[in-house]
Amino acid sequence: MLEIKNITVKTTDDNKLILDKFSLTIPKGEIHVIMGPNGVGKSTLSKVIMGNYKYKVTKGDILFKKKSILDKSTEERAKLGLFVTMQDPMAIDGVKLSEFLKTALREKEGDVNLYDFINSLDDAAHDLKMDPSMLHRSLNKSFSGGERKKSEVLQLKVLKPEFIILDELDSGLDIDSLKLVCKNINDYLKENSDTAVLIITHYPRILEYIKPDRVHILLDGQIKKSGDRKLAEEIESSGYLSINEVEEAKNYE
Amino acid sequence: MNRILIDKDQFIALKKDSELTIKNDSVLTLVIEENIDLVFNIEKVKTDIYVYAVDKSLSVTINANKEKSICNFYYSNINYDDNKYQINVYHKAPKSEVNLYNHGVNVENNKLLYDVTSKVPKDNKECITNQDNRIINIKDGKSTIRPILLIDNYDISSSHSAYIGKFDDDVMFYLTSRGISVSKAYELLLKGFLVHADPEGITEFMDELSKI
Ligand SMILES: Nc1ncnc2c1ncn2[C@@H]1O[C@H](COP(=O)(O)OP(=O)(O)OP(=O)(O)O)[C@@H](O)[C@H]1O
Ligand SMILES: [Mg+2]
Repeated sequence: MLEIKNITVKTTDDNKLILDKFSLTIPKGEIHVIMGPNGVGKSTLSKVIMGNYKYKVTKGDILFKKKSILDKSTEERAKLGLFVTMQDPMAIDGVKLSEFLKTALREKEGDVNLYDFINSLDDAAHDLKMDPSMLHRSLNKSFSGGERKKSEVLQLKVLKPEFIILDELDSGLDIDSLKLVCKNINDYLKENSDTAVLIITHYPRILEYIKPDRVHILLDGQIKKSGDRKLAEEIESSGYLSINEVEEAKNYE
Repeated sequence: MNRILIDKDQFIALKKDSELTIKNDSVLTLVIEENIDLVFNIEKVKTDIYVYAVDKSLSVTINANKEKSICNFYYSNINYDDNKYQINVYHKAPKSEVNLYNHGVNVENNKLLYDVTSKVPKDNKECITNQDNRIINIKDGKSTIRPILLIDNYDISSSHSAYIGKFDDDVMFYLTSRGISVSKAYELLLKGFLVHADPEGITEFMDELSKI
C-alpha cells in the first residue's frame, strides 16, 4: 500500500539531512512499528509522507497504491486516504472541532447529511469517552495532552483513512485511556481490514494492545533492523546501542 | 451626537456618531456603516458588544461606570484601504472589568493602525482590563498596534497581547492534512478569527468574509 523507496529528506530551510536512503514498504492490512531514539527523524517521516512544506525529498520516491505522491499537495494526500495522528496536535483558536470535521468530511465526500454527521460524531465521542462539549470547543484549545490524542483518534474515526500513522499516540494517554483508544483503533481495523498502520512509539506497551506485524528500528536516517514484536522488547530492555550495525535492514514485502 | 438607550439585546446599524448607554444586561451587535465616533456608557453588570466593520475607521470610548460590571468588547474588521481604529477604555468604577478583542484582517497592501488605551485611575481598585489585539495580513499590509495600559494601581489584573502577521503555516498544514483545501482552510480560520457569536444577522459581513 505504501512504498517508500530510498528517500533522502532534507529540511527546506537549511538543507539539514534527516533521512538518508530510507526505505520501507507497508502492505495493505499490515501494522508496522518504527522505534528509534529522540531526534532520529520519526516525526519527520510522518510529515514527509503528508507533504509538509518544511521538508523536501531530494532523492527516491514515495508510492501510495502504486502511484507516486511526491507531487501531490497535503490536501490531495489526505483525500487519497493518508492520515497522521500527530505527536503534538496544534490548538486552533476559533475553529470548533465539530465544524472543522464537518468541513473536512464535506471536502472529501461532497455532500454531508448533517443528521448522520452529528450522530457519527456523538458516537465517536462516546466510544472514546470524550466529553461531548469538547466537540463545540476550539480545536485542541485548552484540551489536555490526553484529550488532544483522543481528538486525533476521533477525527480518524470520522474521516476513515486507509493508511494511518500514529505518531506517539501513547504519550499523554493514561493507561485506561490508552487501552480504550487502542480498542477504538482495533475496532476500526476490524471494520476496515485493508487499512495499513504505521505506529511510531518509544514503548512496547502500545504493542500489547495493537499487535504489529513488523517492528523496525530507525537509526542514522535509515531502518537498521527489522523484526517481529520481540524486537520491541529487546529494545525496551537493552536500548538502541545493542543494535548491530552490520545487520542490514531487510524490507518486508 | 446620536443618543441611544440600550435595555435589551439589540442589533443596530450605525451611520452617525453615537453615544450608547447600556441600562440592562445585554448583547449588542453593531454594524458600522460610516467612519464614526462611538461612546459606550456601561451602567449594568454584564454587556457583550460585537462590532463589525468593513473598511471603516472608528473611534471608540468605553466608560465602565458600574462597579463589578463586565464588558466584553469584540471589534471585527475587514480592511482594503488604510484605516485607523482608536479605542479608549476608562475604568470609572472599582472592580469593573473590560475585555477587548480587536481582530482585523488586512486584505490588500494597505495600512491599518490600532491605538488601544486602557486607563485605570488610582482610586478604582481591583479592576480587570485585558486587550487582545490581532491583525492578520493576507498580503503584505502595513499594520501597527499601539497597546497602552495606563494603570495607577497595584491591585489591577491586566494583560495585553498584540500579534501582527499571517496565519501560521503549521496551522495550515494541520487543516490541509485532514483534506481541507487551502481556500476552505482560510475561510475556517477567518471565521474563527472574526466571528465570535452567532453569525445570523450579519449576513453582509459574512459575505464580505467569504470574498477574502
Ligand atoms: N524544520 C526543521 N528544521 C531544522 N531541523 C529540524 C526540523 N524539523 C526537524 N528537525 C530536526 O530533525 C531531527 C528529527 O526530528 P523528529 O521530530 O523527526 O524526531 P523524532 O524521531 O520524531 O524524535 P522524538 O522521538 O523526540 O519525537 C531532529 O534533530 C530535529 O531537531
Ligand atoms: Mg517525534
